[in-house]
This record gives sequence, structure tokens and C-alpha cells, in this order.
Amino acid sequence: MSAISTRPKRPRFDVNGWLFVGPALALIAIFMVFPILHSLWMSFQSGLGMRLSFAGLKNIYRLFNDPLFLMALTNTFIFFLVQVPVMLTLALITAALLNNPDIKFRGVLRTAIFLPCVTSLVAYTVLFKSMFVANGLVNTVLINLGIVNVGIPWMTDPFWCRVMIIIAITWRWTGYNMIFYLAAMQNIDRSVYEAARIDGVPTWARFVSLTVPMLKPVILFTTVTSTIGTLQLFDEVSTITGGGSAGGAAGPGNSALTLSLYIYNLTFKFAPNLGYAATVSYVIVLLVAILSFLQFYAARERKA
Amino acid sequence: MSDVTLRDVRKSFGAVEIIKGVDLDIKSGEFVVFVGPSGCGKSTLLRMIAGLETITAGDLAIGGDRMNEVDPSQRGIAMVFQSYALYPHMTVRENMGFALRFAGLPKAEIRKQVDEAARILELEPLMDRKPKALSGGQRQRVAIGRAIVRHPKVFLFDEPLSNLDAELRVHMRIEIAKLHRDLGATIIYVTHDQVEAMTLADKIVVLRSGVVEQVGAPLELYDNPANLFVAGFIGSPKMNFLKGVVEGGSAGRADIRLPDFGGAVVPVALKGELPAAGSPVTLGIRPSQFTETGDAALPVTVDMLEHLGSETLIYARSTASDLVTIASQSRSNIAMGDTMIARFPSSGALLFSADGKRIY
Ligand SMILES: Nc1ncnc2c1ncn2[C@@H]1O[C@H](COP(=O)(O)OP(=O)(O)OP(=O)(O)O)[C@@H](O)[C@H]1O
Ligand SMILES: [Mg+2]
Repeated sequence: MSAISTRPKRPRFDVNGWLFVGPALALIAIFMVFPILHSLWMSFQSGLGMRLSFAGLKNIYRLFNDPLFLMALTNTFIFFLVQVPVMLTLALITAALLNNPDIKFRGVLRTAIFLPCVTSLVAYTVLFKSMFVANGLVNTVLINLGIVNVGIPWMTDPFWCRVMIIIAITWRWTGYNMIFYLAAMQNIDRSVYEAARIDGVPTWARFVSLTVPMLKPVILFTTVTSTIGTLQLFDEVSTITGGGSAGGAAGPGNSALTLSLYIYNLTFKFAPNLGYAATVSYVIVLLVAILSFLQFYAARERKA
Repeated sequence: MSDVTLRDVRKSFGAVEIIKGVDLDIKSGEFVVFVGPSGCGKSTLLRMIAGLETITAGDLAIGGDRMNEVDPSQRGIAMVFQSYALYPHMTVRENMGFALRFAGLPKAEIRKQVDEAARILELEPLMDRKPKALSGGQRQRVAIGRAIVRHPKVFLFDEPLSNLDAELRVHMRIEIAKLHRDLGATIIYVTHDQVEAMTLADKIVVLRSGVVEQVGAPLELYDNPANLFVAGFIGSPKMNFLKGVVEGGSAGRADIRLPDFGGAVVPVALKGELPAAGSPVTLGIRPSQFTETGDAALPVTVDMLEHLGSETLIYARSTASDLVTIASQSRSNIAMGDTMIARFPSSGALLFSADGKRIY
């Protein structure tokens, strides 16, 4: 105790210290804090282009009567609820498989599975588009294998369009999340598994009852980052379904319209309404905050 | 029956042979300790018995049944690891009961087993804690408890006490000895601490570079080491090795000249053939063998003194700066830098040939 109180007191304002952090703080203030606060202010305004006027809560009322917004919200939730669990489960299983020292070409496989998230977005979306068109590679293979009789309408049916988007983002981000799991798995003391093996704990139980609980912090981390990523989903729906191009709808009947894409459309495609777009942005902020809180709450350390 | 038998057991990692043909018979209920310097293959041999490492060649049998290809969980063994290997997210109770769930035991039975182990190990007040809220010694007891509940035929311990402080190590050593007495199970125990080996073992197996150097009861190894390595490894402080040359002798006796000690000549009893005169040998004397009435005399200079209370360790040098450790029971008034004559009975000295074999 006394050691703490005898420590020399630092002056609250130390010029040298502030000089070091000053440039960084200034940049953060200009490019992060100000835009965040300004967009919050904008979300209470309405008007075309730069001619904004204060509108109070009008934008918020508008949200509930805007079919496109409700569509985008529904779609975003569908993507989030289906894609995040599928991707993380897949990542966890591949990580467990690739952590097995008996598997050949582990290094090559790890790299191959990780690579999608560093490939060029344009190259990959062009490729996916060509693979999933009516007479593209995917349908040809499925028909030739006899899995389906007629090609799946990836681009023209709302359901299959969403499936395609989910396949695309899962393909791109599974490896990225797998790397986190692999890193965490390699930190687990091997003798824990050896002890379980000697004690006759079957393989599946070692995975479910030992690996998964021990990875809980990493699983929480990837769940939160993936949730944020999916709520902000823009790239794929914009390029693969043509939602980003002028006049193009995001998939058949806007079935792939997401909140981010809708914000983009509100700002740059339709008659620009920056105030309303800012309101929709804050819907995403709110969703991320609520979902992250729920996830942290679900994963909290329970008192023994 | 829980005999463990190893016949010409070998292990190679790639091209490197680590275990080079081990033969061993461990009787049911015996406490066997593997000792040896770091990297000699103690853990590897234990893990082969556990089934965590495959056996490259040779045969392993437990209770008379060949075990080479049997899954670890079916060998009737339990293992306690140096790192404890507890499941970090489970309470003490869950840690001990977890594996039993997969053995198809009913819940009530698991509870009974776990409570029984907790009672033996005095873990009752800790049952609902997680491992991170336990001390090292408590964690080790949980790890032992996890082994006990399975009622194995053979317990395997890999340096279970090396993460504990000295005092706790002594305490846990006694606990493990008691446990062996109470359970009567076969125990195979790995350590590089020869005090642990001497105090716990019914039988010590001394390993060096994957080869068994000697197997025997602790005192047998202490009194009758088969070679220089075992003589130097067992016993603390270490045995003194003095360079000597065979001067001559007769049947059953060799006269060894010690050039580093002013050419003192020591007559040593001999079992086998008298080596040719002039051949180099090593004379072994334990520090505790020095007495004031011994017939052999070594002129030395005192280098360092350690007063341990019950005895005094004298580190002395010969003219050629060969270090000799002498354990003296009396608190004589020797000081550093003094010259003295160290005496020992020549009948107690051990003789080793140039290749390290004991020739008496
Ligand atoms: N998986 C492995 N691959 C290659 N070599 C190994 C492997 N495991 C152990 N070795 C080698 O085998 C030798 C014996 O190792 P082991 O762990 O059995 O030693 P040890 O006697 O237990 O030593 P310590 O007292 O330090 O624990 C060492 O030289 C080690 O490098
Ligand atoms: Mg070891």
C-alpha cells in the first residue's frame, strides 16, 4: 500500500506527453470523432443534397413506413442469422481438422483456405458471377452430376440469390476465422488432450467438451467481428447481384438488398438524401451495439 | 494382475533411435521409478507404455496381455502429467468425473467415486473451484484424483512434482508414497530427482541415452552400482571419482596408485581378473565413506566448506586440482586453505575400468 502512495505524483498536464499523442489525436478527431458526431446530427435533418433542414424525429418515422428499408433490414438479418453460424461452425471444424498433425499438406491446405480473404474483391466477384449465371459452371456441374435436373435460378430467384450470396461470403471469410481458431488451438496444452485420450473420452467429446469451451474467448471475438461484418455487408451484394450499378436492383425483387447497400443507394443513386441515409447508418450502429452486448452477455464467465 | 513387461522395446523418431532396446519386468503392486539425465528418454518410454507414442519395435504387455496396438483408454492405466493437464473450464468435481461419463457409469456412481477420491486426497473443500483458483499442490492432487477414480491397474506419473517448491515437493512425495501403500496399485514414476527416486521406489531403473544402465532396489544401486554412470548418478553429494593407475597386486587385490594425490597407493579388493599393470582405472569413494580411521590417505587442500548442521561438506583439492567432496560428521575446526589428510577405508572403495565398467 505504502509503495503506491509514495510514488511521485505526475502533473496532470505534461507537454511532452501531449506532443507525442497530439498528431494522432488530431487525426482521430478530424476523421473519426467529427464524422461520427456530424452524422448523428445529420440523422435528424432532411432534404436533398446539401440543402438540409432540421427535421427532428421525422427520419425515424420514415424508417417504419419505408418498404425498402424494411426489406433491407429483413435481408440483413437473414444473412446474419444464417451465414454467421454456418461460417463459424465450418471454420471451427476445418481448424480442428487442420490442427491434426497426422494430416498431410497441412501448410498448403491452411494457406489455400485462408487465401480467399486476401484475393481481390473484383476478381472474385467476377468469377462468382460467371460461375453462378444460368448456364455457368455451378449449374453445369450440378446437372452433370445428376443432383438437379434444371439449372438453379441463382440470379433470378430471391431464395437462391440469397443462398448464392451466403456461399460467396462464407467462401471468402471462413479461412480468415479459421486462422484465429487454429492459433488458439495451438496454444492449448497438448497434454490436456492426452489426458482425455487416456481417460477414454471419445474424439467428438474432446472436441465438444474440451476444445470448444477452451476456445470460448476466440469464438466470442469471431462472432462479434463476423456479426459486424455481416451487418455491414455491401461488397458482394453490390457487385455480384448488380445492386451497386446504376439502375440495377440488388437481386431479384431486391432480395439481396442490405442496409449498407441501401445507405449507398440513398446517398449516391436515388435523389441524395444524406440525412435519411445517416439515420439508417445509425440503425446499423444500434444493431451492432445490441448484438455485441447480447453476445458478450451470453458468453460471460458464470460465477461458480 | 497388473504386471508390466517390456521386451526389447525400441522407439525411433524418424531416423533417430531414442529408446534402444529396453527389457523390463515390473511386478504387480511395485513402485518403479525411471531416473536419468534430461533427454535420456524417460518420458518417451512412459508415453509408450501409456500408448501416447507408438512402439517402433518390441513387445509391451500389461497384465499378461500384449498392448502394443491397444488404445490408451483400454490399457487399464491412468497418467498424471507434469503440467497437471486439468480441464481449465471445469470445476474440480467435473475434472475428476468427466471421463467417467463416457465409461457409462450412472450419475450417482460417478458422484460416489469422485467423493471417495476427494476424501482420500483431502480435496473436499475445493470441489467447486476451477483449476485456476487452486495452488500448484492442489492442482496436482486433483490430477491424481482424476487418475484414482478410474481405478487403473497401473498409474503413470511423469515428473509430477517438478513444478512445486521444495517444501511442497517433500510433502507430496510422502502423499504419493502413502497413496501407493493404500491403493496397492502398480506405479511407474518418472523423475530426474534422485532423492525422489531413492525415497519412493521399490525398484529404480536408471536410463541413459535410451539404454537401461541398471535396475535394482535403491540401496542396491547405491551400494553396488554396475558402472561409473550409475555410481555418479545415484547418491548425493555425488561419489568422488579419482583417476588411478594399476600398480600391481595379487589374487583378489589390486594396488592402485593415485598420481594426482602424490602417488598414494591404495590396495583395493578385486573380484575379477587383475588388469594389466599400468592400465588406467577410476576409484570411486562416496563422500560419507571418509573416516578418520581409514587406512588409505589422500593429502588435500581445503577449498570450500558447507556447514549443513548435521554434517559438514568439505570440498578439497589434490595437487592436480582434482575436486574431492568429503562429508564429515564432526564439526572439526578446519578452515579454508588448510591442508589435511583425508582418510578412507580402502575396502569400501569401488573400482571401475577405463570403459566405465565396475571391476569391483
Ligand atoms: N516427438 C518427438 N520427435 C522427435 N524427437 C523427440 C520427440 N519426443 C522426444 N524426442 C527426443 O527424444 C529424446 C528423449 O526425450 P524425452 O522427453 O523422453 O526425455 P526425458 O528423459 O523425459 O527428459 P526430461 O528429463 O528433460 O523430461 C530427446 O532427445 C528428445 O529430443
Ligand atoms: Mg520428460
